Amino acid sequence: MTNSSAFAGTARSTLDELIRPARTQKLESARPLGDAIVLEGLAKTYPDGTAAVRGISLRVAAGESFGILGPNGAGKSTTIGMLGTLVKPTAGRASVAGFDVVAEPREVRRRIGFAVQQAGVDDFATPMELMVLQGRLHGLRKREAAARAGLLLRVIELAEEADRRLATLSGGTKRRVDLAASLMHLPPVLFLDEPTEGLDPRSRSGIWDTLDRLRSRLGVTLVLTTHYMEEGDRLCERIAIIDRGIVVAEGAPAALKATVGRDATLEDVYLHYTGRAFEDTRVAA
Amino acid sequence: MNAQAQVLLLAQRALVQFPRNPVVLGFSVMPVLIMYLVFGGLFAGVAKLPGFPTDNYFEYLAPTAILLATVPGIGNVGVALAADFQSGYFHKLLTTPTSVGAVMLGRLLGDCLRLAVQAALVLLLAMALGAEVATGVPGALLMIVMGTLLGIVTFGALSANLAIRTRDAAAVQATQPMAFLLIFLTSAYQSSDQIESSDQIDSAVLRTIIELNPAEHVLRPMRELMLSGYDWGDIGIGFLVIAALGAVALPLTARNYRRAYS
Repeated sequence: MTNSSAFAGTARSTLDELIRPARTQKLESARPLGDAIVLEGLAKTYPDGTAAVRGISLRVAAGESFGILGPNGAGKSTTIGMLGTLVKPTAGRASVAGFDVVAEPREVRRRIGFAVQQAGVDDFATPMELMVLQGRLHGLRKREAAARAGLLLRVIELAEEADRRLATLSGGTKRRVDLAASLMHLPPVLFLDEPTEGLDPRSRSGIWDTLDRLRSRLGVTLVLTTHYMEEGDRLCERIAIIDRGIVVAEGAPAALKATVGRDATLEDVYLHYTGRAFEDTRVAA
Repeated sequence: MNAQAQVLLLAQRALVQFPRNPVVLGFSVMPVLIMYLVFGGLFAGVAKLPGFPTDNYFEYLAPTAILLATVPGIGNVGVALAADFQSGYFHKLLTTPTSVGAVMLGRLLGDCLRLAVQAALVLLLAMALGAEVATGVPGALLMIVMGTLLGIVTFGALSANLAIRTRDAAAVQATQPMAFLLIFLTSAYQSSDQIESSDQIDSAVLRTIIELNPAEHVLRPMRELMLSGYDWGDIGIGFLVIAALGAVALPLTARNYRRAYS
């Protein structure tokens, strides 16, 4: 893990400040089970007949960082959408933090943070207002939500933009606010759908560093989708490569690369398991 | 956090938005006030017809102006929901322990409060033009409640359903003329028994259309509240019509939202 960005130094103490009170508070916790996330034959066919996900079985341990990699249209967002209770599965089952995503969606939502693929923000609000509302919908008191939003805005280096309308901020900045809003209730499980899409390298590095530290300090289970192989390599202890709605390879990035050859990259792994070059599929998708 | 508290938080969000979007505020209230002034002046002579219920046409027109504020104005619910779909914020809200119902009711409550203020502005203008509310403040409040409820179960439901189907704010806005049609095909500007036949259309046909229009059965008791007093029979019919429309529109909207997220 690299902590080389300028971001890391300025945000470190703020992050500690954020985490400290959280450790003494009663947070929504997962049921005491070994795996934070379990998918068994999970599938989704949309009403128009599109089989977006065709039976995925996976397990993600508590505190693990797990990446779902694949090109656009592979079924990543549908999979993470089902885990986040936004999309109803048509077959199989899944549980998050010990709760079934179909039978107990509200319990699941209490325990997850979810940064949606587009920056899911209200352009008429300010970052502070958006985050306070998010925290309050998760049951935080107003003062507590405001204090935590202030800390998180410092963590993502947006304290000076706290009271500016989101409509006036860049797409990348909105994504950082969306990510920070997802952390307002310090959830045990964090889902990120293409978390750094559209961000500049410095912001991307800053987000990665924050996620590393949150995971290591709070034991957050992290599941992200990405089509940036570098991101999967950098952030994830294990990854699943998805192609056309099924998992074609799963394991630690280093182990997967080792199955392909010395000096192999994750792009090589994708080519090996699907028979297609990753960039080609991105263009085709 | 319970559902009521979530609804109030989301309504508060809507109320904070309005002043930040002066186009919505301005364009939803100014045309109504201008139409009220223009039509009230143009058709002032109608009040001189024998048997017309008041000699101040602005008094007659005030309940119509309330409907013109509330029915098309509630369409902002659909526009705002479509905008939330487009931005991804609707999904963001659904990843919290908030229900779809709370998100919709919060938006609706915020818009209803805005419309109530706008309807009150219409009545204040009417009073400035010499009109009086025969039933006083309680009657005025009842008129605003009836007008707002009619907006919710007609154009509010239509715009919300269109938002689900199209997820496009422009498509929702394009339906706004339908709201004016609903209001104009009533006794909005003239008592229906005073409508005369023309070469093109028989007055009996117009009267039948007006009687079949549910908005007429809400506007009628509102006008009575303005001009004469409480006719509980007509008020009851008005609420029955609203309830009947709601019994169709609200479950249909809920079903569409469930389907959209299944």
